[in-house]
Amino acid sequence: MPLWFIRGLRRGVVTTRYPARPDDSAARLPTPPAFRPGQLTREVADRLVAVCPGPALSRRDDTLVFDVGACTGCGRCAEAAPDAVASSGEFELATTSRSVLIKEIPIRGDEP
Amino acid sequence: MTTQAAAIRGTVTTRVPAADLEKVTADLAKAPGTRLADMFASDGGITVLRLVWARESGYLVTETEIEGGQYPALSDIAPAAFVEECEIYEQFGIRPATGKPLNRLMLPPHAGPDFPRLGHAPAQPPQEVHAPHTVGGQAFEFPFGPVRQVGVESLYYGLVTSGEEVVDVYLFTWHKHRGVEWRLRGTTPRQAMFFAERAEGLSAVAVGWAFAAAAEAALGVAPPPAADRTRAVALELERLYNHAAAMAALCQATGLTVGQSAAEIALERLLRVNAAAFGHRYLFGVIEPGGTARAPDVAVLRRELPAAYGELRRAADALLRTNSFVDRLEACGILTAEHARRLGLVGPVARATGLTVDARRDGPYAAHPVTVVTADGGDVFARFQVMLGEAAESVRLIGEFLDAGTAAERTALPAKGNGEPGSGSGLGWAESSRGEVLAWVALDENGRITRARLRPGSVRNWRGFDDACRSQNVFTDIPIIEASFWLTAAGLAR
Repeated sequence: MPLWFIRGLRRGVVTTRYPARPDDSAARLPTPPAFRPGQLTREVADRLVAVCPGPALSRRDDTLVFDVGACTGCGRCAEAAPDAVASSGEFELATTSRSVLIKEIPIRGDEP
Repeated sequence: MTTQAAAIRGTVTTRVPAADLEKVTADLAKAPGTRLADMFASDGGITVLRLVWARESGYLVTETEIEGGQYPALSDIAPAAFVEECEIYEQFGIRPATGKPLNRLMLPPHAGPDFPRLGHAPAQPPQEVHAPHTVGGQAFEFPFGPVRQVGVESLYYGLVTSGEEVVDVYLFTWHKHRGVEWRLRGTTPRQAMFFAERAEGLSAVAVGWAFAAAAEAALGVAPPPAADRTRAVALELERLYNHAAAMAALCQATGLTVGQSAAEIALERLLRVNAAAFGHRYLFGVIEPGGTARAPDVAVLRRELPAAYGELRRAADALLRTNSFVDRLEACGILTAEHARRLGLVGPVARATGLTVDARRDGPYAAHPVTVVTADGGDVFARFQVMLGEAAESVRLIGEFLDAGTAAERTALPAKGNGEPGSGSGLGWAESSRGEVLAWVALDENGRITRARLRPGSVRNWRGFDDACRSQNVFTDIPIIEASFWLTAAGLAR
């Protein structure tokens, strides 16, 4: 057991402030989508809701409701409508309020 | 001890009349080199019972139409069938003809007749037969769970004891039931992959591969060889991080905090290798029916993996030189080879008893044979040794697969099923870090799933966990045994 104590001391402090440095692989990680309201129509929004395997997307009249907390970043929405959706690259999602994670995206694609 | 795996290929499906099912099962259960790997039902008007037998030459699937809601008590012949008998009763309402008691397995107690099922609700809910059978005399039940410490899955232990020694243990595993197989019905294989990967998230690659292979068999297509090798790279990375996590859990269970930190540093490095190589720490989204969606970053793997594995190896070597650690593992949670064979156990748990059960024999592994690591002790230490040996073998295999070439390629799937009634079904398999994973998929003429069966390795090995706990162990041995099995409740409850 003393060997483990010495081993721990020799290793020193391994925790750091977050983040110690940018994560090299961040660009490849799955992240929630970012929507382009100008490219969103009701038809496109309904298609996105249909392909979402979870409960992250729903449509309320001319608003696409996006629950980031229910999104797994699977990328199916971006694949279904690449003009209207892209990966956000944002994975720092921690918040103290659940409601902050629910976003309302206006559907503007049908506007002249 | 190591053994070279022999090639194993193919699936044979045969019909067995209900009148012959008992005799055929008895003959197969006695046949050398034959193991009951799975049993499940489907309901398309007539309930069909399927038994999957693993043999040296491949898998044999028997199909039997069940009438009258009863079938022979197959677990009396092949004890490995008991878990599935319980599951089939909950989901389809048919039961062994002897009326033997069946446990609640997946569906929670509040599941009434309208609860989503794959077939018909049973006439009576399953019994909780464990406790009245085991608690008596001086023994009492020590309840533990279902809410446990941070990060550990919901699982209820009924520890039956007369003081210190564990006389019996039983589990309530239904807290994590999500109805995954039920949700797969009516989806296309590609849509279903999302859920298949999440049936047992820590085996996402293995379950995903088995499911994809089943769908490919049902559609009569095969993935490109480079995609097959990509799957194998992801599978071996999954094995590496799971074995590192099991080592950390063993340290936690034995109270070795510095060792736990050392193992978790190795685990974190391996997860970062996964993220850098495949874009996901837990390797989700790599496999898709017909091939793979992502290829590994070969340069990252060649540069980062040796260092991450070196971290794991250094921690393991230090642990093997620590008597207070090794002493807790030796003669703890013993299972014999006969136990493992009778219960159809798989993975490191079975291999630690000396059995050479390993599903990595065909596909990309035919050209790159696996050296199967086994041990003889059957205890926690033997399982730890098997995991360490397998980690080294995984690193070697990844190097071979990268040398042979990997790619994100996909064979196009037919837009529809093959249209021939009864022929659009297939079996797939893969070897997860927990053992053999099986999947069976049936498609309709439009290529949509009518029945998908997912059988992660956890389903098999929880069946051996209570036996391992009963073998002269005390309370504090139970977390050590659980860590050495390294199973998931999600994989069983699905």
